[in-house]
Amino acid sequence: MMDIRKLTIKTTHDCLKRREFTEKELRKEFLSLIEKENKNYNAYLSVFGEENPEVVEVKSNHFLAGVPSAIKDNILVEGKKTTAGSKILGDYVASYDATVIKRLRKHGAIFLGKTNLDEFAMGSTSENSAFGVSKNPYDTTRVAGGSSGGSAAAVASGLAVYALGSDTGGSIRTPAAYCGVVGLKPTYGRVSRYGLIAMASSFDQIGPITKTVEDAAIVLEAIAGKDNLDSTSVAKDVLNYSTSLERGVKGLKIAVPKQFFSEGLDQTVAEKVNKAIGKLESLGAKTELVSLPMTEYAIAAYYVIVPSEVSANLARFDGIKYGYSNRSGKDLLSVYQNSRAEGFGPEVKRRIMIGTYTLSAGYYEAYYLKAQKVRALIKKEFDKIFEDFDIVVTPTTPTVANKIGELDTPLAAYLADVFTVQVNLAGLPAISVPCGFVEKEGKNLPIGLQIIGRHFDEKSILQAAFAFENS
Amino acid sequence: MSLTQKEIEHIADLARINLNDSEKEKMTRELGLILDYIGKLNEVNTRGIEPIAQITGLENVFRSDELERPLSSVEKFLLSQFPDGANSYLRVKKILTGKK
Repeated sequence: MMDIRKLTIKTTHDCLKRREFTEKELRKEFLSLIEKENKNYNAYLSVFGEENPEVVEVKSNHFLAGVPSAIKDNILVEGKKTTAGSKILGDYVASYDATVIKRLRKHGAIFLGKTNLDEFAMGSTSENSAFGVSKNPYDTTRVAGGSSGGSAAAVASGLAVYALGSDTGGSIRTPAAYCGVVGLKPTYGRVSRYGLIAMASSFDQIGPITKTVEDAAIVLEAIAGKDNLDSTSVAKDVLNYSTSLERGVKGLKIAVPKQFFSEGLDQTVAEKVNKAIGKLESLGAKTELVSLPMTEYAIAAYYVIVPSEVSANLARFDGIKYGYSNRSGKDLLSVYQNSRAEGFGPEVKRRIMIGTYTLSAGYYEAYYLKAQKVRALIKKEFDKIFEDFDIVVTPTTPTVANKIGELDTPLAAYLADVFTVQVNLAGLPAISVPCGFVEKEGKNLPIGLQIIGRHFDEKSILQAAFAFENS
Repeated sequence: MSLTQKEIEHIADLARINLNDSEKEKMTRELGLILDYIGKLNEVNTRGIEPIAQITGLENVFRSDELERPLSSVEKFLLSQFPDGANSYLRVKKILTGKK
């Protein structure tokens, strides 16, 4: 068989149509590749072996039919272990399919297994996983990024054709940038969150990690749309993103916020991103430097609101109905306290503690309400920019993938999210597309260009990303 | 902004997480640093600004309250995950322990 590592959704579909291989053969090839190579990257936490019932026969003609994918392990697949990267859900088996899984199944998608993540998606390196870090395929001494690190590593190393991730503050875009693949975070409400293990419900979105922009468009089309089981999902038309990619960027008005090019941005990264912006100009786009002064406060607002939501969402993990349970104490309270003490890792505990504090009596107004007001100002700033511009372009991350263990304090790790969290605070769609490599210690490491759009305007960012990718 | 160890113990209590002594000490230090950073928000003038309630502006979303699938189809998954149960019942420890 050909080198299956290079397969995109489009080329897989074509090969299947020409019967160069069957769905079954392809799946088997992938499983044996994963068996051989997953240990190098720790991309998959679990693999769906031969007993997998859904494999049998694919009747759909859809692009995704028969195409093997990987699913982040905080998305429920019925009857399969779903750990969220946490010891507290180490043996948890999902009792239903997430809506995105149902929608992919309808089109004949094939799932190879579940991918690694920072515990409950809290982190940007996947080092917070209870099951070990996911390693970067370009340099295995570096992280794959996070929290969807396993998904990005799987796609970049060719152990899946595409993957689903989730993005609360950059968790699709950051690992995509670090691993040299495409990552799309849809508008808040574009994709149903039903069956996604909640981290911060007013931020979380599921989206694709793929090898090409076209593939991202294909997956988005399949998973997007209103779902009665997620009341924050929005009844807006899902467009045919994959067939409207070729508009180009001629006449497109692009805002470049100067705050994203100041201190903290690695100079070698800046060079590549500036070059990418020049390329968009040469393709006919008009770019202009703008100011987003609230950028300075984004991380602070994010790390108040997210832990607050985390502290509420994770209250359900108490050792009673499912998950890890320590019943050695004498009363009910001790079951809660001991199960949570032993089931959660340090970052999860830290965020629960921060959130409990910021929501507690006497501090709610000073922290939570204040942060929600700052969030309103951040959104307003973007609204204003989008009155005059079609898209906003920035680096996805300030640096290339860090070394495993390099970000050694919680605050240092939080600050690494500086270019991605604003998008989630404002609920906007954004895509990270590869924009070159930087050499560090003799290894070529990928960099991502982030393209941000108006609410529900995934079409424009996909078109711009497509034009850039194919130039 | 720094928190005392007593405050940390109180928060841990509210959060239903037992912390050992070294965790308490570490948490006191780390949360202090994080809260210091978060204190930046006070530089922003937010007078007259309405806090965000829902980022895309949705209000009052309703749906009919209908069963999506019969409970019996998920029952076996749910029951099988009980850490402590018997005959479809979930067993929990006593809540009232008498005097402390």
